[in-house]
Amino acid sequence: MRYVIAGYSIVLAILFFYGVQLAWRRRRLVKAAQRVQAFEATVDDGRVGP
Amino acid sequence: MWRDTVLVAGKDLRIEARSRVGMSQVAPFGVVALVLFAFALGPDRTTMAKGAPGLFWVAVLFCTVLAVQRSVSVESVDGARDGLRLSGLDPAGLFLGKAAAVAAQLVVLEVVLGVGVVLLFGAKVTVPWLIVVSSVLGTIGLAATGTLYGALSAGLRVRETLLPFLFLPIAAPVLLAGTRVWQAALVGGTPSDGSQWLRLLLVFDAIYVALGVVVYGPIQESA
Amino acid sequence: MSPNQVVHSPLDQTPRARRTLRIIGIAAVVSTAFTVWLGLWVTPPDQVQGNLVRLVYIHPGVAWVALYLAFGLAAVSSLLYLWPRTRSLFWDRLAAAAVEVGVVFNACTLISGSIWGKPTWGVWWAWDARLTSTAVLLVLFLGYLALRRVPAEPDVRAKRSAFVALFASVDVPIVHFSVLWWKTLHQGATVLNPNLSPTIHGSMAWTLLLGFVALTLVFVWMLLVRYRIGALEDWLGRGELNVALLERQAEGGHLPVVASELVGAESVVEATPECEPEPVPEGVTR
Repeated sequence: MRYVIAGYSIVLAILFFYGVQLAWRRRRLVKAAQRVQAFEATVDDGRVGP
Repeated sequence: MWRDTVLVAGKDLRIEARSRVGMSQVAPFGVVALVLFAFALGPDRTTMAKGAPGLFWVAVLFCTVLAVQRSVSVESVDGARDGLRLSGLDPAGLFLGKAAAVAAQLVVLEVVLGVGVVLLFGAKVTVPWLIVVSSVLGTIGLAATGTLYGALSAGLRVRETLLPFLFLPIAAPVLLAGTRVWQAALVGGTPSDGSQWLRLLLVFDAIYVALGVVVYGPIQESA
Repeated sequence: MSPNQVVHSPLDQTPRARRTLRIIGIAAVVSTAFTVWLGLWVTPPDQVQGNLVRLVYIHPGVAWVALYLAFGLAAVSSLLYLWPRTRSLFWDRLAAAAVEVGVVFNACTLISGSIWGKPTWGVWWAWDARLTSTAVLLVLFLGYLALRRVPAEPDVRAKRSAFVALFASVDVPIVHFSVLWWKTLHQGATVLNPNLSPTIHGSMAWTLLLGFVALTLVFVWMLLVRYRIGALEDWLGRGELNVALLERQAEGGHLPVVASELVGAESVVEATPECEPEPVPEGVTR
């Protein structure tokens, strides 16, 4: 039974932490993309290029 | 296609003949590897004789990586790869030619390594034709897959570390089958097992040579 | 901008898409928890295997997800990318997402199998055909991931990766048929057995089925999130964006994000601006 608990714990832990990592990566990238988009928005209003 | 094959194979082999990288670097590396294996396995001759088939093929695999690296790198200078694409050579012929050149070098290496294994490891061969056929088939498989993966990793700066990592797992069936055939061909093996594994090698070769002929062109286009 | 690059902002995720993803995520967690509860408590121990049968509720599940869902999808996506008529970076990104998630599930397969094997066969590992081919599969797709990290033009990277994925997935049918072709330690097929009807029954069968469903939901959620991550990374790393930002910098504008060399990189270096150009409007979608 020890083995069973170990097996379940390890597999679920791996999946859980990988899922958490995915969500965290996505959050970071979305925030970065938001900043970039906001910046592009400010740039687009009226400033004349070179 | 066959004309281009001969052309390209001749070119690669001529480069090899002039630079002698294969003989002066790859073959000695193979022998050194064998010697290191002998150290690792220890002085007991029965253990070494048992390990001989596998170690032979491992040494061959490592030499294949070197040979393929070399085969790819001869074209990485001076835009030679673009020159090949512009030359109008049939990509299938290009693939077969380069693979044939690699195979030729491997055959020579295998003779050297085979002799080394028999001498250093005390392997006694009872069924020589199995050894020869397996070496031929294995070489074809290794050359084909190596050339394919060489093309896939061509032009990448990390090719030196990436190519072995990509190629060796794919080449694992050759290692496995080749080892089993050798084991069947040595004292204490069952020769009938050998033909089963030879069939696997044949299938492997057929698949990857066919794949290479079809796929080499598209791969080249993206380099 | 090559015609291949679909440049729409990945920030534009419709509320419906967001809700669907959330529902899938919740369903995944709930069904997994339910499977664990059933597997560990409700179902009886097996007559032959005892409590070890409980690992059977997750091991074939993760294996199925890894081999057929993840790597199968990767192979199909790669083919679709290579086929000129359906060529689109969407397939490439999907394949990459599928492979990464598949590798995680493949690792889980090997680990859960090994843990089951120790009390059953007495060894943590055996070099039989199924275990060996599964381990080789892991290494092959790790190679795929390594190849993708090499900086390259998106189309070049996509093409190379697609070929590697196809070659690697040749191992999938080998893994599948390994128990038929060779004498292996690993048992033969129970559910997909061509000769017999399923040989397990009762509450155990239902739990097994639930396990498959739960892990599939987990896979789908992970795939979708990972896909979005890939899309965002590609969008942030696109060349013309960097060029535009650098031009602004040259003009004396403020850069909230130093976006150089983001291709393939996971980290986004953020420089605190001297003054916020504008507060980010509330309600910008996640």
